[in-house]
Amino acid sequence: MSGQKPHPSPSGEGPGVGQSKTVSHSPTPTPPLKGRGYSKHWPLWVVLVLIALALVLPALLPWTYDQIDWDAVRAPAFSGSHIFGTDEIGRDRLARLAAGTRVTLMVAIAAALVSLVVGIAWGATAGWVGGKVDEAMMRFVDALYALPFMFIVILLMVIFGRSILLVFVGIGLVEWLTMARVVRGQVMALKERPFILAAEAAGTPPLTIILKHVLPNIAGVALAYLMLTVPQVVMVESFLSFLGLGVQEPLTSLGILVKEGADDMDMTPLGLLLPGGLLVLLLVCLTIEGERLRDIYS
Amino acid sequence: MTAIPTLLAIILASFFLMRLAPGGPFDGERPLPPETQAALQTAYGLDKPLWEQAWLYVSRLVQGDFGPSLVYRDFTVSELVAQGLPISLTLGGLAITLALLIGISAGLFAAVRAGKAADKTIMMLATVATALPTFVTGPALALLLGLWLGLLPVSGRGEGWSWLIMPVVALALPVSGAIAKLTRAGLATVLKQDHIRTARARGLSETKILFKHGLRPALVPVASYLGPAAAGLLTGAVVVETVFGLPGLGRYFVQGALNRDYPLVLGVVTLYAALIILFNLFADLIYGWLDPRMREG
Repeated sequence: MSGQKPHPSPSGEGPGVGQSKTVSHSPTPTPPLKGRGYSKHWPLWVVLVLIALALVLPALLPWTYDQIDWDAVRAPAFSGSHIFGTDEIGRDRLARLAAGTRVTLMVAIAAALVSLVVGIAWGATAGWVGGKVDEAMMRFVDALYALPFMFIVILLMVIFGRSILLVFVGIGLVEWLTMARVVRGQVMALKERPFILAAEAAGTPPLTIILKHVLPNIAGVALAYLMLTVPQVVMVESFLSFLGLGVQEPLTSLGILVKEGADDMDMTPLGLLLPGGLLVLLLVCLTIEGERLRDIYS
Repeated sequence: MTAIPTLLAIILASFFLMRLAPGGPFDGERPLPPETQAALQTAYGLDKPLWEQAWLYVSRLVQGDFGPSLVYRDFTVSELVAQGLPISLTLGGLAITLALLIGISAGLFAAVRAGKAADKTIMMLATVATALPTFVTGPALALLLGLWLGLLPVSGRGEGWSWLIMPVVALALPVSGAIAKLTRAGLATVLKQDHIRTARARGLSETKILFKHGLRPALVPVASYLGPAAAGLLTGAVVVETVFGLPGLGRYFVQGALNRDYPLVLGVVTLYAALIILFNLFADLIYGWLDPRMREG
């Protein structure tokens, strides 16, 4: 499931691609670059606009996501106050999309943070301590990489009552592996740098060195991989919800909306195409932006 | 030789996870009388201590006995698995073949056109492809090709092979995107190396350089991706089988987990884990073939 791999990204490797890349993070940006910078980051803007809509829309719409309009079951788009129509039991589609996006992103951010914390703790410890401990810890990560993890998560969901808290703890615990690998590599490289050696020579306790000198230096890379973890998590969450094992009614998520749409697609194709399209748009934008960040920092 | 301990660890972890779950396989709509419950528990050996059950399960498994299904009462798990496995394997096998075909050719083409519009377009498409979840592409394909155009069967296995097309395409798309990127990146690094420059200096044709000297070492990252790809395909197969109503392993897994059919779930998990481990071993072999330096280690 973890589609990320510790390989260099394809973009920016070939001759000629590099020029546009150096522009966005050159230390002294000249004025004309500013406009280009904004248009280059359109995926980020799409995501931000979607987040803003998901936050604001529920307050503006006349319908809530679980409210049933008995007079308008399976209403087509632009009928009355239902901009995107209603679903098979008369709930407003736009309101459901906004609520679903909200839940999906909330789960994604929370789970990505869990993976960040676990990954940094694991990777930094392995990289800092080194030797046999490092080898054992990274072997463990390698072993986990090869496991059918999704199935263990599915079992967890079935067993512990499918609460939303468990959804993101479960997913976060699955998605920390790449983070741990990356952080370990960074820490190992940093450990030999003069300023760290100096701090050690000055008798600074290791924990202080890690917190004050190592972590700030790996923040950029960690952020890039955090950004790449978010779409992974969105995918896992939607996958679980699609199977009916993730977020539960009355809460909704994009995965649940896709599932409902797929079940009813012969009657109202819009029910599948809207949440499906929105989910793909989110995933694509997050992935592009994450890969760009990763290329800058690695 | 970590394959067998890993497999055992997965089996035991799944075994105890299943048993921690509230509810049991015999909780129906109507509660059974306590005597019947107890009799069923004894019949299936569920009243013994957990450790003993785990030991019994593993020792039978070694002899190839997956035990009876608790919910599909007339079937053993082996019979159910024998039904489902060929379907899942066909789906997965065809999907990985298709993904390798599309991915490697797209990556190759992009690398040859490095920096040009074709390169950028292909890489953009590859990124989009990696972000296409099976549970969206599956229903979307069914809607477009099945319901609207009426070209392919929407669900189940119809006549011939046409029922395989949509599930396999939905499964292969994200994997092919990832493979295209890896191939492109691998080639970009390899083509800068000395032996390629030597080959060029000796006047070899570009085609020969690319296919004879460039592609093989460039595919090493692709080989290391095969393990995760297999895991991803199996997960995707769960969705695809649900969406297209195919009686593969994935469906049995989800149904089994929901119904607390312990032996069925364990059987499927064991098989999945074994498949993934096998695939990783296979990837290691390919690794050695692609890069002779790897054979030493």
